[in-house]
Amino acid sequence: MISIQDLTVRLGAREVLSDISLEIQSGVWTCLVGPNGAGKTTLLKTLLGTLAYSGSLRDAGVEVFNDQTRNVAYVPQQPNIPIGMSVLEYVSLGRAKKDGWGRESNSSRKLVKKVLEETQLFGMQGRFVAQLSGGEMQRALIARALAQEPELILLDEPTSALDLHHQISVLNNIENLKERGVTIVSTMHDITLASMYAEQLVIMHHGRVTIFGAANEVIHSAELRSAFDDRIDVYTLDGGQAVIMASKEQKLSNERETPQKGV
Amino acid sequence: MKSERAIPSGWSWKITLSSALILMAIALLAISFGPVAISFNSIIRTLLHLPHALQGQDRTLLLDIRLPRVLLAILVGAALSTSGAVYQSVFRNPLADPYLLGAAAGAGLGATLAFTALHGKAYGFLPLFAFAGGVLAVVTSFFISGKFFSDPGTLLLSGIAVGSFATAIQTYLQQRNSQALRPVYSWILGELTSASWSVIRWSALYITLSLTTLFLIARKLDGLMLSDEEAFSLGINPRKIRLIAVAAATLATATAVSASGLIGFVGIVVPHLVRGLTRRVTNRSLAAIACAGAAFLVLADLGARTLLSPAELPIGVITAFVGAPFFLFVLRGKRVGAA
Repeated sequence: MISIQDLTVRLGAREVLSDISLEIQSGVWTCLVGPNGAGKTTLLKTLLGTLAYSGSLRDAGVEVFNDQTRNVAYVPQQPNIPIGMSVLEYVSLGRAKKDGWGRESNSSRKLVKKVLEETQLFGMQGRFVAQLSGGEMQRALIARALAQEPELILLDEPTSALDLHHQISVLNNIENLKERGVTIVSTMHDITLASMYAEQLVIMHHGRVTIFGAANEVIHSAELRSAFDDRIDVYTLDGGQAVIMASKEQKLSNERETPQKGV
Repeated sequence: MKSERAIPSGWSWKITLSSALILMAIALLAISFGPVAISFNSIIRTLLHLPHALQGQDRTLLLDIRLPRVLLAILVGAALSTSGAVYQSVFRNPLADPYLLGAAAGAGLGATLAFTALHGKAYGFLPLFAFAGGVLAVVTSFFISGKFFSDPGTLLLSGIAVGSFATAIQTYLQQRNSQALRPVYSWILGELTSASWSVIRWSALYITLSLTTLFLIARKLDGLMLSDEEAFSLGINPRKIRLIAVAAATLATATAVSASGLIGFVGIVVPHLVRGLTRRVTNRSLAAIACAGAAFLVLADLGARTLLSPAELPIGVITAFVGAPFFLFVLRGKRVGAA
């Protein structure tokens, strides 16, 4: 379990995360939801251990800052594309921490092959990473994370560049990790998809957590609407699945009354 | 396109070995070739202290003129090509060049200062001034950028700014001291005529030290091609590796520049060429890149001293003559992300 107490993160003079207290359960998918600039990516990087913070952020009782003993996979929103690197080499990087850089054990080779099959990349392993389409690149990122066999996986907008078909395929890949007991923390713009896949939702606004809890409860909360300036509508389908849509009418009337809100 | 290929094991000893053999063959050719030809047999006999070794003038020609010159070309070529490859990985920019961080302009200013401040008696101090100027410029770029650790791209920009500033001072000094124009100009074009055993000794020390460091961290340079967060999650400290890589590559570049002047394009052409031939990530064939860079410069120097013999062409002219068209070729081929 990850336990966060009074977490504050500053980037330069700016306070990006303020007084966050939160518990993230192991083996569960937790999704961070909020408008742009809410601090979701910063919280992911802090969970990874690359950003200094005040307060406390403990994973299994240990402060995470600069701790590289944990096995955490990180999937960025916009990856750097390494020039001249093949898909196979890229996915195999996931084994570097276990095997040592530039070395690969036989078991790692087998695992990488399995992961390539799981992510439908088998057959493309000889291609250069730079030649992959957006959807294939996203799958390669997920494949590398799977090859890491992580205890915790952090995903920044794993579906933002994908069409609906690829979104579902990537999300299913991620969901399969839960069977292996992996803790998943992601950000996601599409709140409907987030509520379909994640058990826990964390609503963030202006660097603060306004509410967190079970997805089906949070999705109907006033805090979710408030985080998006009351510009969303939540509908419930017959099956019980919530659908969140932008509220066009609300947006127009809001903009008429308080034009500075949209700025 | 092959859909299957063996998982690379980081280094390929076959590629490294064959490039080392090619380098040895080219070096032997270069030592033998010149206004006075020396046979391969005599070269090997003399170097290995076998019977029937060269004597007298031919021996002096081989041991004190040809051999140091070829060795210096090997050292400088290996230093520039390896540094170029490492800079390209660190800055995630295929067109990064060992001179981009201000090393060239700083060294140029240092050399100009040596000529103007020490009036003619400068030649012995020139490498020292050039070395100090190059290192100082890179360190200045480093501190001005401030954001190197979070965003290596800003270091490239501040390197360009520091480089322009140093060039401006250099131009001013040259205008005020026109007698320095010609020697500085000839130094800037690059030359290996200064090769002597004392130059070889100190440059070999620094270049070997830098290259060994770079080879030791080469495998981890893969991680620098990713974002810092990904590199961290894969178990490396990207800031530390980046700092070591830039420091070692800068030391190698500054040493090469102070020993031989500004020899352009080796740092860009060779890594791209080797990457295209081996179809491997740059840092996985770093040793091959070092050998290829050395071989390229030995050949370029051979051209420099024989094409217009007995006159000598600046080696920088040869490397740029080959390098500039190749640079355009790489730019056009960039879309495949491979070349």
